[in-house]
Parts: sequence; C-alpha cells; structure tokens
Amino acid sequence: MQTVIKTEGLSKTYTNTAVPVHALKDVNLEFKEGEFTAIVGPSGSGKTTFLNVIGGLDKPTKGKVVIDDIDIATMKESKLFDFRMRHIGFVFQAYNLIPVLTAVENVSFIMLLQKRPKKEMEQRAKEMLEQVGLSDKLNTRPAQLSGGQQQRVAVARALASRPDFVLADEPTANLDTESAFNLLDIMARLNKEENITLIFSTHDQRVIDRARRVITLVDGAVDKDEHFERN
Amino acid sequence: MLITLAWRNLWRKKRRTFITVSSVMFAVILAIVMMSMVNGMKQQMVDSIISNTTGHVQIQDVLYHDEPTMDHAMEYSQEVKEAVEALGDAVKYTVPRIEGFCLASKEVSSRGVYLMGVIPEKENRMNDLSTRLVEGEMFTPDDQFAVIAEGVANQLDLALGDTIVMLGQGFQGMTAAGKYPVGGILEFPLPDMNNTLVYLPLQEAQMFFAAPERLNSLILMLEDPRKADEIASRLKADLDEEWYTAKTWEELMPDKVAAFEARDAQVRVFAWVLYIVAGFGIFGTMITMMHERLRELGILLSIGLKRSKLAMVCMLETLFISLIGVLAGVAVGFPIVYRFYLNPIQLGADVGEVLIDYGMEPIMQFSIAPDIFISQGINIFIIALIVGLYPVKKVFRLDMIHAARH
Repeated sequence: MQTVIKTEGLSKTYTNTAVPVHALKDVNLEFKEGEFTAIVGPSGSGKTTFLNVIGGLDKPTKGKVVIDDIDIATMKESKLFDFRMRHIGFVFQAYNLIPVLTAVENVSFIMLLQKRPKKEMEQRAKEMLEQVGLSDKLNTRPAQLSGGQQQRVAVARALASRPDFVLADEPTANLDTESAFNLLDIMARLNKEENITLIFSTHDQRVIDRARRVITLVDGAVDKDEHFERN
Repeated sequence: MLITLAWRNLWRKKRRTFITVSSVMFAVILAIVMMSMVNGMKQQMVDSIISNTTGHVQIQDVLYHDEPTMDHAMEYSQEVKEAVEALGDAVKYTVPRIEGFCLASKEVSSRGVYLMGVIPEKENRMNDLSTRLVEGEMFTPDDQFAVIAEGVANQLDLALGDTIVMLGQGFQGMTAAGKYPVGGILEFPLPDMNNTLVYLPLQEAQMFFAAPERLNSLILMLEDPRKADEIASRLKADLDEEWYTAKTWEELMPDKVAAFEARDAQVRVFAWVLYIVAGFGIFGTMITMMHERLRELGILLSIGLKRSKLAMVCMLETLFISLIGVLAGVAVGFPIVYRFYLNPIQLGADVGEVLIDYGMEPIMQFSIAPDIFISQGINIFIIALIVGLYPVKKVFRLDMIHAARH
C-alpha cells in the first residue's frame, strides 16, 4: 500500500508559555492508503497537536511532514491553504458547518473552492449526503439538524472532494451513543468503499474499538503503535 | 457562493442588521435633507448675485477687471456681437452696461454716486429693475432723464422734476459732465445701492462718459448656467485676447465664491460627523459579528478558504449593510426633499424681510440635484471601506487554530 503521510522526527514545542511545553517529541510515523487509525492518549498527550501539524494547520518546531513527496512543514501559508483544500479533509469535534448554508451547499463548499464543475459538484454532494443517510435533508440548514446529522454532513463535506486523507478531531465527542455508532458505521463503510485514509484523535472507546490501527501518544511521544484485524 | 455567504450572514441576526441599516439610513436622510437645504439656499443666493449684479458671464476689456476705470471701457464692436451670436441658443439674452463713479450735485450739495447706463427692458428681464420704482417712471432708451435711488434723492434733496448735475472722469481723460432732470426714484434694500445708484439710458450715459459705442461690460445670461465656464472659454478663444476677455460670475465675485466654499466646508464637516456616527454603528456590528464567528472563521480557513477570500466575504457584508442603508436613506430622503422642493418653506416676517431686502424670495428653497444623492452613496461607501478594513485586518491576523477552538 502507498504511503500517504510520513512524519520524520516531528517535534513541536510551545514557547509562548511560562515554561516551554513539548507537545510532540520526535514522532516518526507512516500512514498507508486506506488505513483507519485512531490516535489515542490522555488529555495533553499531543493528539490534537499531531493532527494540526500533519494537517498543515500548525508548523512543527522540528522534523518533516511528507505528503505526496512534499514536506508541508516548509510550505508557505498561501500554498498550504491550497494544499489543505486539495489533499486533506477535516472533521471537527463541534461539527463546524457553515450555519447559513444548506447541507448540500456545505458539502459542495470545498469543491466550490476547488472550482469543480457545477454539475459534478452537485452530483457528488448529493451522492455523499445519500451515503451518510441524509438525502432527505439536502436543503436543510445546520440549525435544523440534530448533532449526529450535522456531524454526518461534516463527514460528507470532508470526503466529498476526495481528499488523500481525512483528519477527525474527536468527531464523536459530542454525540450520543446511537449517533456515534451510526457515524462510525458510515465512516468505516466510506473508508472501505472509497479507500480513504482516516485518522482520528479520540478518547472514545467506541472509535478505538473500530480502528484497525491504534497509536497511543504519551507526553507527545509515540508510546504504542498497534495494528488490529477488524471487519 | 462568497456573495451568497456574505448576504446570508447578514440576516443571521435580523434585528441587529436592521438596527445597523437604520443608523446608516437615518444618517443618510439627515445628510440629504441638510445638503438639499444648504444647496437650495446657496442656489438662491447665487441666482440673486447673478440676476442682480454679474450675470452668468461678462465680456469686458481685458484690463477692466483689475483696473475698473472708464479708460478700460471696451468697444462694443462687430467682433463682440458676432462672437455672442455664434453662441446661438446658449445665450438667452445680453445686458449691456456702462458704469462709473462720479460726483452728483444739486445747488451747493454734492456727493459721490455710481452712474449706470442701461437698457431698461434688458435690466427688467435680468433683475426687474422697474419694480423698484417708488416715484415717477422708468426711462426708455431714447429718453434723456435720470432715475435715481431714494437715498441719493434724500441726501441731495432731489425730487421729481429737479435737475441732477454730474461730473466725472470720461473715456481717455475726457471730462464727463452733464445735467439731467430726475424722472423717477428707485428704492433699493441694500444701503450701498440705495445711497449711490443713478441710472441713465445707455446711449445717454455713453455720451456722458464720452465713450460712444463703448461698454464696461456685456452681460450674458445663459440658457444653462452650468455651461458658464465653457461659454467663457469659447468667447476667450473667439475674441481678440489683446482687447477682450470673458469672465464667469465666479471669476468676477471671488470673495463670494470663497464665502460659499467656507460654508460648504462647514456643512461637509457636519455631514462627515453624521457619516462617522453611522460608521461607528457599522463598526460596532462588525466587531460583534467577528467575535461571534471567530470559530467559524477559523474553520473556514482550516478547510482551505484563503484569507483573501474570507476577508472579501467580511468586506462584502460591510458593503451590503452600507448599500442597503444608503438605498433606504435615499428612498426615504428623496420624497422629503422633493416635497420641500415643490413647496418651499415660507420664512417668517423678520427673516423673510431680510431675504426680500437682498432681492431673494422669502422662502427656504431645497435642491434635488442628483449629486446630493450620489455623494451620500460615495461618502458612505468610503466609510464602509474604512470600517471594512477592521474585519479584513482581523482575518489576516487570525490564528486559525485558536479561532477554531474559540
């Protein structure tokens, strides 16, 4: 399988605090195409920082993040915007849909930034909303959707533009059990059907139980990297 | 999509948007009413100056404006007549004048007066001179009597039928001397005019000043006053610049123009105070909107929306609010000023009389000139652009990770 992301000696130290905080310490990881990975660890272990750095939202203090043979750690911000838009899908804990856009418009948004043809964009957005079970909510705005439905729209948005991989920062944290399982089913299915690489940061055992790879971070360093056979 | 996004963002908090739009709208209404009133009154004054003194454009001897003596009376030549004729319908009519200071006396009393040689029919068309007659009659071009201002009559103890003797400096050193029966007495509201003016028929005055076929000025009243500059330029080009020049009323009355400019500046300052108040209304809304949407902005940046595009969305929101406010302000302000344009406010006795004394109607005239409305749009647009810099700056400095966690 092809390597999608590779980190080499990745470190991140926050110096704008009274005492420097070493959020990541020499993290060397490789993520293959189609992997379903959970990044776990206690609060402050560096999960979110790791996602931010490999997602190009934050710069590492040291080390490389290689995606598509490009070290994004050295990329200029203006290029990074474009790179993120074309290569990375994001799912956030608090759904973070654009409140004034309908579900279908939210899902189309990134494709619109990518300047995809309108027809293709609409078709793909509808297809994705169908995939996440919201074909009857195309023209509904986020405020009229439940938390679970909003997060499904967020997943559809992240996957619609066919990114190289999707980063999800505690996506089930705000969901009830039923919605969380429902979302995980959808993501697992899309992972298989669309062969999309999924990387979650999570505390949620329900997510950990579904992941085929579980990386445990402790104090910013990789403590365990386990692979599991799951259906 | 970005335009849709900006437009829809505006209506997320309808009440807040409504209040902001209202603040812009009321500022625009106030500014429109104020500018309309001030411009209307200014136009009244300009009309008064034009009809009572200068006209729209004057043709003069090239040296007369700087040294207004009889030696610089111009020849009313064929060249001048042809140049005016060439302007066609742009000129409604012309008013020829010869004028100068001289000494007037009766028996042992004497005083300085200002003698004007005029064609009564043309003066009447320009400033209704005959309506100021309080005694006697106005002369015709062929008459040989004088019509004098009431103040002159009182000071020299002149009555109808008495003889006024005048002595002055004629053309090229000639002595100007003559005696004329008083055939009419005029009353002027301004003391300067009432105590000095003496009128003679144009030809008689030319004879008095020993300047036949000469004028101090040929006044041109135009069909379209806005073309005064253009007409003056054309005349300058057509006439022999060694002898003649053409000046607009603004060139002839620079002190009045300066006074108008000073007052316009005061009005503009007041208008900008209104705009700034409206600007702060928009600014307050922008600060609140940005604060409320910090996380959303962070997310938009995270998923790949460029800062420049996000800044454009925020700027569009500011412009939309301003545009709606301006349009609403013009929509409400126009009928108000149009009503007063059609039915000007009648001024009360004291103020009204002052205006009448100055040869103006006792009304408060409003203007509906398009530039009043256009300038509101432009000024509020400028304010919106300035205010819009705040969200733009905020977007460009936004730390997307912190914002996304806000």
